[in-house]
Formats: sequence, structure tokens, C-alpha cells
Amino acid sequence: MKEISDLNLPDDMKYTKDHEWARLSGDIVTVGINDYAQDQLGEVVFVELPETGDTLSKGDEFGSVESVKAVSEIYIPVSGEIMEINEDLEDAPELVNESCYEKGWLIKVKPEDVSELDNLMDKAEYLDMLKG
Amino acid sequence: MNTCLKTTPLNDWHKAAGANMADFGGFEMPLWYETGVKNEHLWVLKSAGIFDTSHMACININGKGSFGLINHCFTRDITTLEKSRCAYGAFLDTNGHCIDDAIVYKFWDTCFMVCVNAGMGATIARHLEANAKGMDVIIEDLSLKIAKMDIQGINSARILSKLVQNPGKVFNKMPYFSFKGNFNESESRVKLLDGTPVLLSRSGYTGEFGFEIFLNPGSIVKLWKDILLAGKEYGIAACGLGARDSLRAGACLPLSHQDIGAWQFINHPWDFALPYNNDKTSFTKNFIGADSLLPARADSFTYPFAGDSLRKVSSTDSTKVIDTNGEQIGRVLTCATDMGIGWHKGNIVSICSENLPRDFKIKGISCGFIMVTKKLEPGMKLKLKEGKRTITATIVTDIRPDRTARKKLDNFI
Repeated sequence: MKEISDLNLPDDMKYTKDHEWARLSGDIVTVGINDYAQDQLGEVVFVELPETGDTLSKGDEFGSVESVKAVSEIYIPVSGEIMEINEDLEDAPELVNESCYEKGWLIKVKPEDVSELDNLMDKAEYLDMLKG
Repeated sequence: MNTCLKTTPLNDWHKAAGANMADFGGFEMPLWYETGVKNEHLWVLKSAGIFDTSHMACININGKGSFGLINHCFTRDITTLEKSRCAYGAFLDTNGHCIDDAIVYKFWDTCFMVCVNAGMGATIARHLEANAKGMDVIIEDLSLKIAKMDIQGINSARILSKLVQNPGKVFNKMPYFSFKGNFNESESRVKLLDGTPVLLSRSGYTGEFGFEIFLNPGSIVKLWKDILLAGKEYGIAACGLGARDSLRAGACLPLSHQDIGAWQFINHPWDFALPYNNDKTSFTKNFIGADSLLPARADSFTYPFAGDSLRKVSSTDSTKVIDTNGEQIGRVLTCATDMGIGWHKGNIVSICSENLPRDFKIKGISCGFIMVTKKLEPGMKLKLKEGKRTITATIVTDIRPDRTARKKLDNFI
């Protein structure tokens, strides 16, 4: 397991208490699980994602990430419509471990209210939460 | 970190190799290494893997009363067990509940060894002592005197051939569940190149061809490293408890205190561990627990299952087994994903199966054991439900096909 100081937590995104990340680019929010979550889960072997076009509210479960060790539900950080899911994960779920912020993203959401992102944690706040 | 955890002689090696460590039976043991569970599992199916099993416990039983004592306490009838052969079975209490499962090794008529699970050495030694009153036996817990490692996979004998004296002789006529050598005798028939005596047993816990190796604790780290080096040309990985669990589940083997435990040792897939007569109406011998097992109760059954995909559920009491009528009929004892198998046209195939379609990709199947309150038939579909998560499973008679454990050694040398 990684030490907290070894975690890769980019500055250009927001974090949830359930260890998802959300990055706004244009009017689309990309969502994934962060380095802490992928490290805790271990090898990811299956990712269950919603359908494109589904509309979900902030905090709704939108799928699950299954590793050799455990199954973890994942929760959407902003309300909105699912515009795209990462179809590469069907054949290569390990991308979530190898590249959790780039190739291992999970969904792209068109947010109903971008300001919901303001209620999420930035890197410093998230690190404080991890350190307890 | 729990400072009370015991360690094996390989503990430093595991940590230096980046293993994820956890408490298992009171020992700090590797769950997986940087290779990852999936790859460790696949290495065993494709070539070879090694496992630190020094946390297991061994008991020596010597004296004229040895045979009588073991046959009275053990579920297998060892009357016909030959010298240099071993047998899998269990030790039960008077209620027929399983205290632990074990392999009994017969050195000669008055000398046996019993190998049990982590932390169970003292318990089983006490159980034997309590039943040995007036018998001519000496019972010795060897737990601290022996280290043990397993090498499993089709290249196991080829790799070991490079490390033992007279490999041609050692690997000649060595059937499944037989053993050669001894760990504490200078006259051992099996020795490593440096003269270290070892007990080499053609057994294991993965369902694949391979060996369990018993030797003195001071020699195991060198042997471990030598095997990794000798195995390089074939491909070999150090494997943790994660891969051990997924391999054994796929091989339909029980985990003690999880799939068998403080309930009656009957109505399960391991009939061969009980001394049934031909029509399974009675036993060929009396033993502790026998009176409680027959006639078999009809309210608890253990079955192997295979999931529809690699998706699994937790092996906890909160995971329910639901039949096609929607009735809750039991719980999941084990659910692990065998990453080396997949469904193909209604049958399970393995990465080791022949004639697989070229474009067929094996992704893994969840599998394990359920304990239910009614009799089920192979092929029946069930739901395994854990909270909001549900997977579909089929009752099966076996899980991973084309296993190699029982195949002739000549195929692998």
C-alpha cells in the first residue's frame, strides 16, 4: 500500500470523500477513482458503468469497481447526464490502476449545475481528510 | 502492525519483494506481491509458482499405537495407506464437527506425520494426546522445527530437477499423494545439491501438478531463492495467499474454518475424505464423530458453484443464496475469481484446455462454495445477493477443468 505522501493527487481536479475525482474541462466533467482508491482496491478486474444518456443526481451510485480483493461502489460527484463512458475498460479494466486520471477515467458527465463542484474537496482538503 | 503476529523464515524476503502482508492464522503472511494476484494465479497454471506455507503446522506421531490413534481420530481409513503415501482427511469432534483438515503422512507402520493448518498444531496435538490414553505413542508438535514451501505448476519437477541430487531417481515413480525423503535425517533419500535433507511430497493446494517441500527452517530462504533462479528459464512467480485462494477454489478444494468448520463434516463435495462403504450407507471404520454423522442430516448441504462471469460477492454471512423461487436458502462460504477459466458454449474451459477457439478470450469466473438448507442438483441456477449486488451462479460438480495435479509425473519432466 502507498503511504499518503506517495499518492499522486493532481491539483487540477476535485475529490470526494469516497475517493472519486472530478475534472471540469469546457462544460464536461470527467470522473474517475483516485490514486488512493485504486491502490487500496488492488488489481481492478471489472468496472460496471452506467449507460450513456442516464441522468443521475449528485451522490447516486453510478457503478462499481471490482478488484481481486473487493467490490467498491462508485458515486457521482455532480448531478447530470452521462455523455460518455470509458469503453476501453471493458477489455482493459487494469487501466484504472495503471492510469487512474488519464486512460482509466470512468465517465463524462454534462453537469446540471457546475457550482456543485465547489462543494467538493481540493487536494489539500482531501489530504487532510485522509490524514484524519 | 500487530506485534503479536508470528513470522515465517521468509518474512524478510516477502517484505523486501514488496508483498502486501496480512494476518493469516496468527502469522504475518503475503497476500500478493507486485506481480499481482491475477498474474500469480496464471503463472501457476502456465508454468510454476511458489508459496510460503511455513505457517502450517506438523505433528509427529511415533510408537506402536500410532496407527490405532490416527485411525480413531482421522476421517480417512488409513488401514490400506502404504508407506511413503499420504492421505487427506479431517479431525472431528464427537459431534462430527470439523476441528481442522489435515494430510497424514505414513513413514512406516509406527511413524506418521500430520500436517494441519496455521495455528492448529497445538490444538490437534492436544486432541491426539487426549485420545491416546494408555497407548504407546509419542506425539511431538514439530511446528517450530520445520519450514515448508510449495511449488506448483507444470514446470515444478523440471525446476526442482536442477536443485536436487539424483533427480532421475527422485522423480522416478512418484505418484500423486506420495512422498520421498525426510527433513531431519542425514540418510534422507532426497537431498538438495548442498546436502540439505528434504521431504518432498507430490501434493499441494492448487489442483495443479507440484510438490510440497518440508525442510529445516534455516535452509528455506536459500531454497526459495534458488528455485526462483532455477525457474527463470521456464517462468516462475512467488505467489501469495490471494492466488492460493483463487487457485484452490477453482480446484474445488475447501479452506478449513471457512468451507469446513464447526458444523457437521458431511453432505459436502469432499466425500472422499470420509470412509464410506460402497453404497455410502455406513463407514468402513469407527472414528471420533462417526456416530453423529450417520444417518446424515438433511438440513445442510455444501455445493460448489460457478458464477456467470468474473464478478464476485463477499464470502460473508451477509451474502445470501436465493433460489429460483426467490427463497433464501443459505449463505456463501467462499467466493473467489479463478482468472484462468471462462464459459464457452455452456461449459467451463481453462487457459490450459486444448482446442480453444483462437479468438476466445478467457476473463475469469467467480466460484466457490455455498451452504444451503436443501438438496440441489448440478445445473441449478441461483442468485447470490450481497446488498444491492446480485450475481447469477450455477451449481456444478467441478470448476476449473484440465487440472494437472493427478496427471502422471512423466508428463512434466
